[in-house]
Formats: sequence, structure tokens, C-alpha cells
Amino acid sequence: MKRRNFIKATSAAMTLPILVNGMGVQAIAKSSLFSSLNDDSDRVLVLIQLNGGNDGLNMIVPLDQYDKLANARSNILIPESSLLDVNDLVGFHPAMTGLKSLHDDGNLTIVQSVGYANQNRSHFRSTDIWNTASEANEFLTTGWLGRFFNEDHPTFPENYPNDDYQDPFAITIGSLVSETCQGIGGNYSLAINDPFNLNPLASVGIDEVPDTPYGEELTFLRTSIEQTNAYSEVIGDAATLGNTMATYPDGNRLGEQLRNVATLISGGLKTKVYIVSLGGFDTHANQTVDGNPLNGAHADLLNILSDAITAFQNDLKLLGLEERVMGMTFSEFGRRIRSNASFGTDHGDAAPLLVFGNCINPGFIGENPEIPDSPGVQDGVAMQHDFRDVYGSVLVDWFEVEEEKVKDLLYADFQYISILDPCGGTITPNDWPNTPSPYNPNKYSIVIDHGNFPNPFRERTNIEFELEKEGFVGLSVFNGSGQKIVDLVHKTLYAGKHQVKFDASTLPPGNYYYHIQTAGAQRTKLMVKVR
Amino acid sequence: MDRRTTLTTLFGRNQKSSTENITQALSTSSMTEMTVNSGLEPYLGPFEFEQAAHLLRRSTFGPTYAQIKASKDQGLEATVNQLFEFKPSPEPPINYSSQNDPNVAIGETWINAPYSTTVNLLAYRNQSLRAWTIGNMINEGTSIQEKMVLFWHNHFVTAEVNDPKFRYKNIELFREFAWGDFKELTKRVTVDPTMLRYLNGRQNTAVSPNENYARELLELFTIGKGEAVGQGDYTNYTEDDVVQMARVLTGWQDVGFGTINPDLEVGSIFRPNRHDNEAKVLSHRFDNQVITDMGANEYAHLIDIIFEKDEVARFISRKLYRWFVYYVINDDIEANIIEPMAQILIQNDYNIQPALEALLSSEHFFDMLNVGPMIKNPIDFLMSTLKQTEVEFPNNVLLANRFWWQIFRVLPAMQMEYYNPPSVAGWKAYYQEPMFYRMWINSTTLPLRQQLSNLMLFDGVVQGDFQIIIEPLELVESLDDPFDPNNLIKEFGNLFFPNSVTDDQVDILKEILIPGLPDFEWTVEYGNYIADPTNEDKKVAVENKLKFLLQGMMSMPEFYLS
Repeated sequence: MKRRNFIKATSAAMTLPILVNGMGVQAIAKSSLFSSLNDDSDRVLVLIQLNGGNDGLNMIVPLDQYDKLANARSNILIPESSLLDVNDLVGFHPAMTGLKSLHDDGNLTIVQSVGYANQNRSHFRSTDIWNTASEANEFLTTGWLGRFFNEDHPTFPENYPNDDYQDPFAITIGSLVSETCQGIGGNYSLAINDPFNLNPLASVGIDEVPDTPYGEELTFLRTSIEQTNAYSEVIGDAATLGNTMATYPDGNRLGEQLRNVATLISGGLKTKVYIVSLGGFDTHANQTVDGNPLNGAHADLLNILSDAITAFQNDLKLLGLEERVMGMTFSEFGRRIRSNASFGTDHGDAAPLLVFGNCINPGFIGENPEIPDSPGVQDGVAMQHDFRDVYGSVLVDWFEVEEEKVKDLLYADFQYISILDPCGGTITPNDWPNTPSPYNPNKYSIVIDHGNFPNPFRERTNIEFELEKEGFVGLSVFNGSGQKIVDLVHKTLYAGKHQVKFDASTLPPGNYYYHIQTAGAQRTKLMVKVR
Repeated sequence: MDRRTTLTTLFGRNQKSSTENITQALSTSSMTEMTVNSGLEPYLGPFEFEQAAHLLRRSTFGPTYAQIKASKDQGLEATVNQLFEFKPSPEPPINYSSQNDPNVAIGETWINAPYSTTVNLLAYRNQSLRAWTIGNMINEGTSIQEKMVLFWHNHFVTAEVNDPKFRYKNIELFREFAWGDFKELTKRVTVDPTMLRYLNGRQNTAVSPNENYARELLELFTIGKGEAVGQGDYTNYTEDDVVQMARVLTGWQDVGFGTINPDLEVGSIFRPNRHDNEAKVLSHRFDNQVITDMGANEYAHLIDIIFEKDEVARFISRKLYRWFVYYVINDDIEANIIEPMAQILIQNDYNIQPALEALLSSEHFFDMLNVGPMIKNPIDFLMSTLKQTEVEFPNNVLLANRFWWQIFRVLPAMQMEYYNPPSVAGWKAYYQEPMFYRMWINSTTLPLRQQLSNLMLFDGVVQGDFQIIIEPLELVESLDDPFDPNNLIKEFGNLFFPNSVTDDQVDILKEILIPGLPDFEWTVEYGNYIADPTNEDKKVAVENKLKFLLQGMMSMPEFYLS
């Protein structure tokens, strides 16, 4: 429904004196002396939120697990012959021809099985966890990007915009600001539906605001009006100056948002983060059509996603912006391994996350998820990469944040993953899985995983791995629904072989996973406890 | 001079530093310190225009000057009684425009009429339902009914289900139980046809349970998710309870969706062959109770079991509190308001009325600190714009529906489309920390608010020969003393704003009404018009001044607050 049908009629009649908040915008002192971030960077991060929980198993299909998937989700599984041929171990959903070509061109990275320990399967809670980058049982009121911006701009929104920072730090395309950008003092993102249609607002300011909740809300409203007015000018200018050169698919609701993003970047807006979104991934029912798993709600969504990203990346290339912009998807959770009889899937755990752009290590990071022979009804995909390691690695490589600072902003156990790559070199997709995930051998140790013995096991099993260099190791065990059972190792270990015993004598039989996290690699392996 | 400089000059600078303002406004910690110690005991203070306005702003949509005065005159207790007085459902929605419905003539209702294989009747019936919904709020009178209907719609969320007959039945359920028995309402919602479709209850079978509804029943509709204290244990319930309850709820399906069969009524049916007949064992959180062999009665028994837990009463009390009072719920509020409300609910077997009456008559509700900090949601803002200014709609119900539909169409852009909450948790303003009500306000929605009041002031909305528009001369006549410009502005302020206008504001607004002129000029001009009301020149002169004044006042953020 177009809002302008009803409301646009007014603008012609608005030749009235415009009243503006009396608070006034004052030029203020130069930026903080204590900046730890690189303000001169012109890099842009585009986040694509997939609302509802995306089914990764039908998107990036692990071919070495195909028989097990056929056993667990026969009514929705894409026929193997229809999958897009990516490599020996992975096929793409046939709706994603665009992403397939991005992969072939070296502009796509797939981080496997991203999630977090103790998966919460509530949409709202899990979205909060992803937005705030909290632990599963921790409640934060600031977003991960909000804390990043807060480092250098702790007094925001007071006296913003100003001469040094005329542009919004972040823009959410839509009508609600993104909680990823919630800071201590306010939300660093501005919600913009249509950058071409921003009008100044009127407001009568007064002198006194009482020291009450009423006063607080009133000040919030006045500040919002003031900021909207101040930012609308620069955004309007960028929208006018900006350009797009690629053809975006007609009627693609994500593509329309990304086209606005490309326009604003090319128009010179210095906004660092854009957040766009695509809803509808909560496919409890009719994820695929009865009798034709190639079609259905999920196929339509993946097609929208794939076409939109492809057009956007092409646009960046034509506009000469491809080395300044990277994109990343996220979703609150993946879905269950087993499908339901409604041709759908229920809330699950980890799922693949897509990173796209020119300045990336293309290909795959991590291994295919392991699907048990007999997954429980509640079982989701086991986490291999903590999402905060993905966020943090983006902060390190893209926004040049120190690793120690990332540990403050996100979590103490942050482990770097080399997802991005400085631009300029020749990049080809790594021939995964024959080589390990990209890592810097000078800086990071890697784990060589020898598996656990015995497996299956009755009461106890031994997990064995080898470190090339001394380094931090986190080794934990999870059950099939993503709940952490035990931390077995959480410290720095010497180089060489290590063996850790896992005692499951008090646990019920079923599917368990051990997860090894080191700087440079994260691995998740299935182990089965039997009676 | 650019406009910023102009206005800084015009209105002066803040005496208080903006640092201070913003730090206070935006830090959540300061809010918790600021909350009130008053409790649920009856309010015994004065009940003047200000208190009556506060009560009616929160319990109805956009009360008029006359309504507020009547409430003030009759007092708090009588007003609360009036708010909760039994009110029959409004006449059902009608076909107000479609020549193409073979089953429903213009002016007749479609709520029991079948669809057609040849004509698509969904579009006009959907419009009719939505127009009717706007009409119900406009014509609500001094009743809490419509605010409660929207409360329940935001609580027991449904969306997407595209059959207006279903949606009508669903929303009427909320009208029937507006302030009634929450437990019984939960039972009815559990097997409500719209809900069975929206949360996949219809696909929930013994062979393949679908736990979507069971999860939300616990997490969002009744007991709420507590802290995760163990593996899959959320204090109030466990993951396995979701699984077991989904099994209890198997077998229910909706009937009559999109039907062309004139004998098939919208409803729901229990299909025993789809029901899980094995025993369902709940966790220790529900005392390990076992449900078995009760067939079609299992769902109601399950709701009874859930409602044995007092946490349900606290959970719904918090939601009512955030709907009617404010979003901050700290330990004091929890102890002084939520817990006593919950006890009243439990004592009254989950009948909402006594607890809600207590809240709306309480010391806490009328505490100065609770007057004004609620940012109006878009529907409340829209209704304030239309109703507080006494915009007149045509008596012809067919024509009135056309206007109501046009009004409805503003809501999606303002981010609060009736019948389409953004998710099963409802509108974010009522649960999303830390912003809550502030979710409504951003650079996209703010301009819409101002455009809307400008539209209603200067262009109005036209259908055929009829125009709905704010008529300031009629509005001003209801005031006590419109001849004195100071009093005029103050009375408008009392009507539109939660707190009185300050002297500074009066001065600023007078600059709009009578720029650069002494006060008596208004008295003279307005007096000239009153003495000669048919003189077009005198009328237009005064009317335009009043429109600019109202534009100024309705653009003030104070008007966004309740």
C-alpha cells in the first residue's frame, strides 16, 4: 500500500511558515581526541536481515549429508539433480543462480553453521541476541554496532549532526531503526523509507523540560525532530547526486532497498552501515509446495535474496564502489533438521551466513554440518562458528578495530576468522575443502582434529586434536538442540597432540557435538551416545 | 537567514543545557530512579479537567472537550463506571460500495455471506472490515471497549489470514471479552478459526505435531518466558512442555475458509482421528500433570492447568500496565502495582475488569509522574487528530464508510496497521527494550504525523460532495472563553496536551495567532466575527488564524504524548 496515495496531497498545500524546534544546532568541538577507530575509512557495511529464521539446509545443501537429509526431510528436500552445481560437497538451491555466479566470480563467502551456544528458539529473544551480540542468557540493551559507534561518539545524539559528522552513522531502510545500532544514548541509525522524499518538520520548542518521565519522552521527541531535520538535508543531497547503473529486478522488495543504498553511497553519503531486511523466513508450513519442492515460499525468498544481492554487487562494480562495500546476511536461527508434515520446518539452531563483496576470502569457511543418522525431533544444525566471531572479524578487517577492543565490544573469547581480505590482490575461490579455511599461519594456530574414539560410545569417549602452535582452545559439548552440556577446555594449550575425555555416563543417549574453537579455525563434530 | 537561525532567534535557546536534557532523556538508568512509589490504592485527590483528560486519553481514543468536561463533572467513580458499562457490539460491517457481490446487496452485511467462484469479493470485504474498525473507534463514546479490543488484538496477535469473515469473528471475540474473563478468552482464542490458521494449529496433528501455537501460548499469550535456569527450562515452562502441549492441541481445524457454500459457517471443528490420544506429561513446572483421554476437552483443560500458575496473572498485568500506564516496570512497580493487580485477577478468577478498574482509579495512575510520558501510538495519534478536533463524518453510513476506509489507509505507513501486527509478539512499542513507545518515532514516521494534521486542517478529505476537515470555528465555540487569546491557547492546550502550556509556549503560539499584535486585537477580531457570523471576510480572517494556531499546536511533540 502506498502511503502517498493519501498523504501526498498535502505537500502542495504546505506553503506555511515552518516552525522549528528552538533547541538549535550548534557547531561543536572537533572530534574526540581518543579515537581508536579509523574515521577516514570510507568502507561501508551492508547488513541484510532475514527475518523469521532461514532454513540453511535447503539453501546451501551439504551433498555429503544428502542421504541423511533425505531420511529426515524427504517432503521438502530439493532433488539432488536440481541443485546448482557448486563443488563436490555443496549444491545451491536452484533459485539462487545469481549467488552461484557471484560464488564463481569470487565475490561470495559462505560461513558455515553460524549460531551461538544455548540456542534460544524464540524469534524475539534470538533476534535480540543477534542484534545485541549477547550471550544466550545475557540481556543487553545496546546493539553490537551501537557499541562500536559509541566508542568514538559516546555523547551521541547530543550535538549530532555537527560540522565533523554531518552524515548519519547508520541507516535502516524502512520505518523502524535497527536494534543493532542501539547505543547507550540513542540509536545510531536513522530510519529512511524513501531518501527522495524527506521534508523538514515543524515543532515548537520551549525552554523548560520537567525532570520527569514526561520530560524525558518530550526531549526524546524534540531531539528526534531536530535530528531528522538536520540529517534530511544531507540525505536528500546524496539521493539527488547519487546514481545507480545496474538493472534491479522488477518488484524485488529487497532489491529496491539495496538500490537506495547504492544511490546513497554513490551520492557521497558517509554513512558506514546500512541495514536492509527481507521478511517471511518463518516457514512452519508450505516452505515448499506439496509434490514440488522446487517451488514454495522459501524458493521465492531465496530467489529475491539472490537476485537482489547480485544486482547490487553488479551495481557496485559499475559504480566503481566494489572495494568500498561489503555485505552480510543474518537471521535469528536456522531451522530443524527434520521437516514437519505441513511441508515446513520449525525453529532450529545454526545456519550458514553469506558475506559478499570484492574484498573477501571467497568460497567456504568451515565444514558442512553433520547430519545424524537419526536426528531427534528437536534437533537443529550444530553451531560451528559463533556469530560474534563473524561480527568481530568484520570489525577487525573492515573497520580496523583492534582485537582487544573487539573483545570488549563483543565477548572475551572472541576468535578471529579470516573472512575478509584486503583488496587489491588476485582472488579466486579457494578449492575448499581440500585446503583448510583461510588463516594467517604467522599469527594464528590451527587445530588438526583427529576425531573422538570410540564413536558411537556408551559412557565415555576421547576427543583428540593437535595444535600446530601454542594457542587458546575452547572445547565444548552440545546436545542436538544446541544446548551446551559442558566446557571441556577453555585455556591456552601447548603445540602438539591433546586428548580430552568426555564423560557422558549421566546423559541420555542421543546425538552430541563437540565444538573446538581456536584462533583460525572452528570445528564441530557429531558423536553419538548409544545405550 | 536560514530557518534554524530564524527560529533560534524566535524561540530563544534552552536555558537548561541540552547535555543535561539528553542525558536524562536517553539513559534508562535515570528512569528507574525516577519512578513513583504510589501504589494501587484508590486515588483520592482532586478530579479536575486535567485528571479527567488523563483518564479518557488513556482509556479511549481522542476524547473531546465535551467528553472530558462531562467526565470531570460526574467524577472519577462515575466515569470509570461509564467506561466499563456494558456496550452491545456495533452493527456489523456492510457492503458499502460493491455492485458485484451476488450474495450481498449494498447496505447489507457480508459476515455470513458465502464467497463466489466468479467474482473476487475479498478486496471489498477486507476494505469494509477495516473501514468499520475505524468507524467503531470514532463512534466509541466514553467506553474502554475499543482500547481493549486493540489491546487483545495486540496480545493474541493474528495477521495475514485473508478471509474477512474469519477476521471479523476473531475481532468480535475481543469485543465480547473486552474486560471479561481472560481464561475463557484464552480458551476461545485457542480454537479460534483465525488463530488456527495463523499459528498453524490446523496443521497440528498426532502424526506430525506443529508446535507453533503451543510455544506462543506459553511465551506470549499466558505465562511468559522466564529466565533460562537449566537446559530447556525457562522457569515458567520447559521446552518439553511446548512439545507436550502441542500434542494436547492436536486435532483442531478451522472450517469455512473462503467458502462458497452458503450453509457453511465460519468455525472450528475437532477431528478425533488427527488428535494424539496418548498421554501427555507436563514438566515439574506444571506439577507433572498428565493429560489424556479427554479428546475435544483437552485444550480447555490445558488452559485451566496453565492458569493455575499465578505467573499468568503477573504476565497479563504487566501487559495491561504497558498498555495503559507506562513502559518502565522496575522492582517498585512490580511490588506496588503488578503484584496487587495480579492478586485481584486471581481473586476474581481472571476477570479483567476489577483489576483494570483498580489500576485506572489508583493513586499511581494519577500520579503526576505518570501523566504524559506515553508516546501515542499511530492509531491513537490519528484518532486524537480527528476526534479531539471534532471532525464531522457524514450521517450516511455508506459515505461514512468511504471516509473511514481512507483514514485506515494512513495506518500502514505510520507503522500500525490494524489486522496486521508485524509479528506474533505484536507491535514492538509494547515489548522492545529499551525503546518501547519510542519505536513509533523516527525520521520516516515523524513527517507523516505532521502531514496528517496539516491535511486535516487545510485540505481535508473529499468524497463526492462531502468533505471532512477540521472546523476550528465550531471547535472554538465549545471552549469556556475563546475571546481571550491567552485563555484560548490554554484551553486548547488542556485539550491536546497532557500538561498545561507554559507561559513561554503561550507567547510563541500567540505569535502565530496574532503576530506582533496586542491581545485585545484577537478579542476584537473574534468579537466581530461572532457579531456577524455570516460575513465571509470576518469569518475567513478568524478561521485562518485559528488553523495556523492549531497547526502549530498539533505539530508540537506535546501533542504526540498522552
